[in-house]
Amino acid sequence: MWNRRLTLTILLALLLTIVPVHAQDAGGGGTLIGAFDVGPGGAPKAIPFMDTAGRTWLSKIWSPLISWNADMSALEPQLATEWSSNEDSTVWTFKLREGVLWHDGETFDADDVVFSLNLALNPDAATNFPGFSSLSRESVASITAVDPYTVEIVLNSPNPRLPFFMIFAWVLPEHALKDLNPADYQTTDWFFTNPIGTGPFMHDEYVADQFWALVPNPNYFRGAPKLDRLINRYFADETSALLALESGEINFTYVSGDVALRLQEEGTYQIYDGPSGVTNYFIFNLRNPVFQDVRVRQAFLYAIDRKAIAETVLKGTATVVPCISAFPSMWPDASELNDYAYDPAKASELLQEAGYDTSASFELMTYYNNQFHLDAMAAQQAFLAAVGINIVPVAQDVPTYNSYFYTGEGWDISYRGVGVNVGNFPFSFYEPGGQPTTDGAPLAGQLFPELQALIDAARIESDADAYLGLLQDICKFQNENALEGYMWTAVRFGAGTSNLQDFYWFPAAGGGPYEDHAELWSVTE
Amino acid sequence: MLKYLVRRILISAPVLLMITIIIFGLTEIAPGDVVDYFRSPDLEMTAEAEAALRTRFGLDQPAAVRYFKWLGNVARGDFGYRFTDGEPVAVVIGRRLNASLLLMGTALAIGVLVGVPLGVFIGQRQYSFWDFSLTGFSFLGISTPSFVTGIVALLVFAINLRWFPAGGMRPVDSEATLGSTIHHLLLPSIVLSLNFIATFMRYTRFSMLEVVRLDYVNTARAKGLSPTAVTWRHIVPNAILPVITVIGLSVPTLVVGAVFTETIFSWPGMGSLYLDAVRGRDVPLLMGMNLVIALFVLGANILTDVAYAVVDPRIRYD
Repeated sequence: MWNRRLTLTILLALLLTIVPVHAQDAGGGGTLIGAFDVGPGGAPKAIPFMDTAGRTWLSKIWSPLISWNADMSALEPQLATEWSSNEDSTVWTFKLREGVLWHDGETFDADDVVFSLNLALNPDAATNFPGFSSLSRESVASITAVDPYTVEIVLNSPNPRLPFFMIFAWVLPEHALKDLNPADYQTTDWFFTNPIGTGPFMHDEYVADQFWALVPNPNYFRGAPKLDRLINRYFADETSALLALESGEINFTYVSGDVALRLQEEGTYQIYDGPSGVTNYFIFNLRNPVFQDVRVRQAFLYAIDRKAIAETVLKGTATVVPCISAFPSMWPDASELNDYAYDPAKASELLQEAGYDTSASFELMTYYNNQFHLDAMAAQQAFLAAVGINIVPVAQDVPTYNSYFYTGEGWDISYRGVGVNVGNFPFSFYEPGGQPTTDGAPLAGQLFPELQALIDAARIESDADAYLGLLQDICKFQNENALEGYMWTAVRFGAGTSNLQDFYWFPAAGGGPYEDHAELWSVTE
Repeated sequence: MLKYLVRRILISAPVLLMITIIIFGLTEIAPGDVVDYFRSPDLEMTAEAEAALRTRFGLDQPAAVRYFKWLGNVARGDFGYRFTDGEPVAVVIGRRLNASLLLMGTALAIGVLVGVPLGVFIGQRQYSFWDFSLTGFSFLGISTPSFVTGIVALLVFAINLRWFPAGGMRPVDSEATLGSTIHHLLLPSIVLSLNFIATFMRYTRFSMLEVVRLDYVNTARAKGLSPTAVTWRHIVPNAILPVITVIGLSVPTLVVGAVFTETIFSWPGMGSLYLDAVRGRDVPLLMGMNLVIALFVLGANILTDVAYAVVDPRIRYD
């Protein structure tokens, strides 16, 4: 009898510990729990100027001057309402939004912007990641507050694309951080104990490695958010986040293309998508004479049925690209482009003409370790083998890959990705001293003066249309010369529960930031 | 005993030092560093920015200088800051260690409390139904990787039945309580304990079978002692010695954590932290973690020796 009682007591105690996993807040817009930092575009710890990604979360607390719009096709005013430059793009004026309050009630003004931009450029504080802090310090002559709502930036050299650099220029409160030694910026716990921003949500609770909870900012400049609470839950990987989504514990997460398709078929989730902004391609090491022959490079493109891989292996989640640019607006008219349609006979012919040694074997180096790209590389390997090009995919982790890739030595071909958009064209990948870099390496710009001339012209072109025209000319040149083995650009997906209202999120390159109107988000019961 | 303990501790000091030198050497010869980790392959980074980062992390100094600087700081109790996010190493290790000790300690405790009695049980019933059944289970438990049992457990108990949360250490939308902690702890610790249960059961069974046939056991039985008394007073205390060794060898896993289980269950322990440290070439964190793990391993070895002496009065170290 006693044993039974004991057993029942233990069972009862265990049952009592099983509380509802996800108790929704009553009233208001509810509590939204998301895996903001899972998948590409996420960063496990979000500190302005310190992370290469994670900006979909950062933008909930802090605001930049400018962000992308929702589909990352144009710029969207945030704390800056308008911006303009002089004729040669050396003096830029940013008009700031008036009436914005910090989370602690202090007034936001131009001094905060000057403080933040100087902090971003301070080598002791920031980490030189993309954006304003990646500008050469020598290129900025001064940053001044003309009046409480006007900031002027004077550059030592023209930069027509400066507004794009402002996308990552988070504005921090001078009144709260002015006494912080810039060298202590990276080790301070201020960002997790008492962060103050101008974003739609305010800090509530941070539990390291587990979650970060925010509450609405009633003074947000686009209006008070509807949600009662917004929580970023941390996961070690995509699978565990997906399991949490399917168990009903969280409202959204990043999902890979195949999972997005499965969830879409199930019909119980909302699927969000957006451009990765990343072009996947083969980069040929032009120091190897084999790849200096345009016929060999073109043979790679003819040999691989890129469209078939994109449609079958990548399940239609990727689009074939004609050049390094990921967005069609940066491509010239299709009639000016070679589509390199699958033609193994043509590939064999080109290889024969070039005297290509079919007994040669090259390692295809990559830092991609996910199944999406590994499957694609296996397909590429099979297509190339059919015409006598032998490649062996070798996947490594990012530090290992980077440790030799940028030396320009120890590799012949690499399958990789590069973020390319109108405001962020990787010019330096084609220039002497650029990437991959070693002095005297025969890089594309050196081998192709015509390309270098286009790059030089694009760098200083201040007219938007003319600039786009130059990018299209570069695309045409790349396509014609098969400078690289251009493959595809993928779509990225997010999956959310069906009770999310006015919600928009996708794992943008680097996490954006893009305008997602988080103040409108809500969760129904 | 005290003299023995002091001698063991003194011998451990140079071993510890050697471990730190070897680990530091390994981080040096590993390809890439934290700047290579930070450098997104998708994005540009200027040579100026790269050089500034290397200087900030002290990577522009010779390896020997960096090692002795680290050693000097550790001697003063300063473990430094993580390269990858600037958090104090001692703080993050302390936090993750607590999480790992809770998870692994629970799993180990379940393993001992279930595995040893089951081993005793089947050790007395060789070739019985229970022996075959539980031996079969132990083979399954030992050979099934925890990421398989973890995923299956999550699919069944978190997604389909929704009895347990699908990961984490506490609820994110309400206060953490003892009950909620136990609720989050149960599933991953049971998954991890399966291997412990199977291992301890196997060793205990084997050891029981060795002891149960010895003369003094027959003598005890011939004296008319009850089977229970024979088992618990004469067989188990002697059969348990090899099991203590196995349990002792399992103690370091308490601090090492379980990479796969922690990852699947989003349990922020030492295993997943170690993986992060290696991925990020986070040398201060790697060094700090290895130091702590080495201390535990050496400590566990000493404790195992002490446990021997406590269990077996014949063993004396003086």
